[in-house]
Amino acid sequence: MTVQASNLESEQLPDPSGAPEGDVSKLAGKSPTRLALGRFRRDKLSMVAFVVVALYILAALSAPFLVKFGVLDPTSFNQELTDPSTGGLPIGKLGGISWEHPLGVEPQTGRDVLSRVWYGLTFSLAIALTATILAIVFGAVLGIIAGFSGGWVDATIGRAIDLTLSFPSTLMLLALSSIGIQLMADILPGTFSDPLPNGAYVVFVLALFGWPGVARIIRGQVLSVREREFVDAAVLLGASRRRIYFKEILPNLWAPILVVFTLTMPAYISAEAALSYLNVGIKPPTPTLGNVLRSSINYSSADFIFFFTPAFLIMIIVVSFNLLGDGLRDALDPKTHR
Amino acid sequence: MYAYVVRRLFVGVIMLIAMSLVTFVLFFASPIDPARYACGKNCSPELREQTRNALGYDKPVIVQWTDFLKGIVQGRDYPDDPELRAAAPELVTHCPAPCFGYSVVNTKTVNEEIKEAFPVSLSISVAAVVLWLFFGVLLGVMAAIRRGTIVDRGIVAAALVLYAFPSFFIGLFLLKFIAIKWELVDVPVYTTIAEGGIGGWLSSLLLPAVTLAMLYMAGYVRMTRAFVLESMTEDYVRTARAKGLRQNKVLVKHTMRAALTPLVTLIGLDFAGLMGGAIITETVFNYNGLGKLAYDANTTNDLPTIIGLVLLLGTFVILANIIVDMLYAVIDPRVRVG
Amino acid sequence: MFKYRKRVLAASAAIALAAGLAACGGDDGGESSDNPTGDAAATGEAGGTLNYLIYAPIEHVDPQRIYVGRDITNFSRTVYRQLVTFPISTDPEVSNTPVPDLATDTGTSEQGGKVWSFTVKDGVKWEDGQPITCEDFKYGASRVFATDVITGGPNYLLSYLDIPTDEKTGLPAYNGPYKGDGQELFDKAITCDGNTITYNFKKPWPDFPLAVAGLHMMDPYRQDKDQGDKSNFQIFSNGPYKLEGTWSKNKGATLVRNENYDPATDDPDNIRRALPESIVFNIGQTTETIYDQLIADSGDAQTAVTGQRVPPAYYNQIEGAVADRSSLQASPYVDYLVPNFRNMTDPKVREALKVATNAEAWINAGGGEKAYAPAESIVNPAVVGYQDNPAFSGPQEGDPEAAKALLEEAGVQTPFPITFTYPSSETADKQAAALKETWDAAGFDVTLDGLGDTYYDVIQKPNKESDVIWGGWGADWPSAITVTPPLFDSRINLTQNSDGQDYGAYKSDEFNSLVDQAQEAGTLEDQTAALQEADIVLGQDVAYIPLEIAQFYFLYGSKVTGFTTTPASSMYPDLGAIGVES
Repeated sequence: MTVQASNLESEQLPDPSGAPEGDVSKLAGKSPTRLALGRFRRDKLSMVAFVVVALYILAALSAPFLVKFGVLDPTSFNQELTDPSTGGLPIGKLGGISWEHPLGVEPQTGRDVLSRVWYGLTFSLAIALTATILAIVFGAVLGIIAGFSGGWVDATIGRAIDLTLSFPSTLMLLALSSIGIQLMADILPGTFSDPLPNGAYVVFVLALFGWPGVARIIRGQVLSVREREFVDAAVLLGASRRRIYFKEILPNLWAPILVVFTLTMPAYISAEAALSYLNVGIKPPTPTLGNVLRSSINYSSADFIFFFTPAFLIMIIVVSFNLLGDGLRDALDPKTHR
Repeated sequence: MYAYVVRRLFVGVIMLIAMSLVTFVLFFASPIDPARYACGKNCSPELREQTRNALGYDKPVIVQWTDFLKGIVQGRDYPDDPELRAAAPELVTHCPAPCFGYSVVNTKTVNEEIKEAFPVSLSISVAAVVLWLFFGVLLGVMAAIRRGTIVDRGIVAAALVLYAFPSFFIGLFLLKFIAIKWELVDVPVYTTIAEGGIGGWLSSLLLPAVTLAMLYMAGYVRMTRAFVLESMTEDYVRTARAKGLRQNKVLVKHTMRAALTPLVTLIGLDFAGLMGGAIITETVFNYNGLGKLAYDANTTNDLPTIIGLVLLLGTFVILANIIVDMLYAVIDPRVRVG
Repeated sequence: MFKYRKRVLAASAAIALAAGLAACGGDDGGESSDNPTGDAAATGEAGGTLNYLIYAPIEHVDPQRIYVGRDITNFSRTVYRQLVTFPISTDPEVSNTPVPDLATDTGTSEQGGKVWSFTVKDGVKWEDGQPITCEDFKYGASRVFATDVITGGPNYLLSYLDIPTDEKTGLPAYNGPYKGDGQELFDKAITCDGNTITYNFKKPWPDFPLAVAGLHMMDPYRQDKDQGDKSNFQIFSNGPYKLEGTWSKNKGATLVRNENYDPATDDPDNIRRALPESIVFNIGQTTETIYDQLIADSGDAQTAVTGQRVPPAYYNQIEGAVADRSSLQASPYVDYLVPNFRNMTDPKVREALKVATNAEAWINAGGGEKAYAPAESIVNPAVVGYQDNPAFSGPQEGDPEAAKALLEEAGVQTPFPITFTYPSSETADKQAAALKETWDAAGFDVTLDGLGDTYYDVIQKPNKESDVIWGGWGADWPSAITVTPPLFDSRINLTQNSDGQDYGAYKSDEFNSLVDQAQEAGTLEDQTAALQEADIVLGQDVAYIPLEIAQFYFLYGSKVTGFTTTPASSMYPDLGAIGVES
């Protein structure tokens, strides 16, 4: 579902004091960034995770082009490859695996499973990425403002965070889906059932219920950064608020933000799948990992390959992103131990 | 301290009122006509109009909302039409304060619905919390003690993999294979203590609780592990070990106590979230808890039930936050509330 | 199955006309009870507990509010007896001929079907031992008029019963027994003389006994048991079973023997064999879980039947010994498409759409031959007076080339953009994509518009963007008068704010006058002839395109005996006949 408390808040975030400060680091020979990179490279598991994530991203980026050039074909029917007398199961072993269809074909329609999961990956990652970026941007901006300003600004943002977190997010997401998607269809191009409004609704709601968590974490980090000398100096020099927020404080937060990012991504990839199960999100024939999984979920006995493939792919990317996040955190924060 | 609690509760009530208004306005804008659903097949426009009036949906949203708030304070009588109540007193359903509304779809007051569903959700949630807390902390400590070994890696990876499979996939997998195909356990049907005794009750909770626990356990494993590792470098732990205390004793006496504060926070928040977040698990296993109630209310456009649930679950979250803050003060003497 | 739960409800029907006629002619009403069932409806064994597995909660258990085909028969066989009812028989002729139940005969009509009378049998009792009286029937019918309380049920009585219409609301001047306005009008329209109840209608209702048997709206109701909406899940029985404890919407209930039921007043062999000692309605498990258990044949599933269709993902597991426990029959429902006449004004374009429609691909995407059978009319073959519609005979795999030529002839710019609106589900999404293939090939540019729970709200809006709309329908009683007129008569459907059930906004004076002819007809033959002609008009105008007839493919437990599906039970398992090994 949406990000659970345990997902984000259990993460021991890197102490911003361990984060680099550009000017000083030049004198110190190896910069903390390079030190962190070095630590990260030595961590084999994290490197494997990094490679897997990179492959997924590459796949996601390439899919639209492959579809355009006809290498992947996620929507064409091949009903001649299915057998109507068995309820449309693929003809042949292991879900109709062949050279043309390396992961077999979908029951009843004969659509190519590899094309569907590959292209579906693009949509799943796009949703997760957009939602993550939105949640982080809003969360970070409000977190910085709240943490730095204090007083009534902090209190107001704090209440807004509390109010948002008090709403049962899954229930709201379901209950508001018809009006929400209608709204999206009104502002965005596309009809009620087109991918864009449906995807946008999921992105919007994930971000809506995701930013408070980010804001809380960032606020906490800002509280400790705020007391540091360079911030005092900037204030004394009469720097504008905006400058302080984004030029002085933000650069010191990139490490926790990066970690939050790598840990929010997988949560949202899972969320997309879970929402598809509840029939919210991008609808077929446009594939996403979630809706392909939803259509395969009942084939555990009839077509195991079809049943297992989408769930397995989701599992791999979620695990990899999490390991990557862990690795980054460890690398960025020399105090933790492996 | 009391003043603090009173203040927090006051803010909580204000927040709930705000939530109820937001929910009302949002649902009122929904394109779905609840009267059409109630009116059924062969419903002429005249009939639908009459149904809408009978359900009170013809009134302005602000009137509906104040009626709702009045019902919470004073209780309410249904049907809404005073003429009908006067003409046929045998039709009247009294909904005592705090009245959350009347579900036309289920022919029941929302209070009754919640009263039936709440024990189910509470049972599943408690069982799940116990499972994931026990295994999460145990495995987390084991991983920390053997850090860097294959045991450590194995535990962390296994927990992560279980978390990374979508929860409906895990739930359906357990149901189809463990319960039905391999018949290792009975097909889970919720059994109350009155019906099946403590044993029957517990065994009926097993699969849903395991499904939920898998989702949350990974976070607890990793948090416990990180905390134990970190605390091993703390001065007081080093001192204790230097004193010659055995590792186990150090772990239990010093490390775990320090880990208690963040654990309590997490459990409090996760638990409150779980009451509304078990929609998928309860739907997969068909347990008529709050999550299933919410899911069904959504598919039948049962607005009163949805609004009642939003407020109830919001109350849980707000209360959990207050309780967690209170517990801080008790567990950690450094924290003072007020 | 979303599709058959919400909208498509009802009873089913006779292939041959003659059977229906005999029952409804009037004078010869008593005869049909003497007919032997004369068919192979198997006989089960007495005793034991039968489980009836249901996925979605039943919305109404109140007789005047029940409107789902499966539930109508389940309750008539167990707890709610009717004046007349449909007997247990696999022969449609027999099964669609009403036989006397609580009434002494199948009713007598006067004034060309405008007045109907029935006499209530002596010795029939409620579950508390009190006799069922004529007044109970009258009270039951009065509840139909309380449209602000008793919602969701069939409301034919509102337009038929001889009560003037209130100008202000557009509804009858009588508003039910609770508020009681216009009670005197109702008392005139339905009268009791001793045990004889007489109904006075505004217009002829030649198939009234079919309506009585096919629905529960005319059932008796005891006034002292009535609590309005609170009675929605209460059962006050007069049949062989009664409710044990309460009905739980999410879990179901158990029915046990009703000791105040006297089989001597019934026709047990033909209507209610009432074999199991108790019947458990088990509600809530998903169709997949139900079939996992039925296939494994474990525990309670051994004595279980279900009205859920086998999901295609399970077809390959139904083989060998498991297949011996399966049943495959055509359902009384038809799925169809309607073109939106506001947008697709050119008859050639509609013709092109029809020609390009690949119903076979739709069927295969939905699971193939065990899931659906081809349809050649919107009227189900089980309805009295069915005939193939010539507009839809022939191969159904779609001919994009011919359609392309038609579009060219029409002189429209191609690709011609159309939006196809349908209720989204995992299966329907695939089926819709299957139709898109040939439509696109023919020169249409198809946008798939799969909707969730807003479906019926959207397609009833006059300003909808949809060009092609999915629909599903089954007759309320075995007559086409409950099929084509409610779906295509523009006068009762189209208003400023809603298209009613005429989703395609079809408007034809020719069709409407044939409907009038059917409704004024005093005999079933005339009515049927007019309706057959009306269907041909619909076909010529491409007012609809039939897709398929859902197949009822069921599995039941190994200890179930006498498993039967009958036209009387809308081809769902007939609880009147089924027993279990104890």
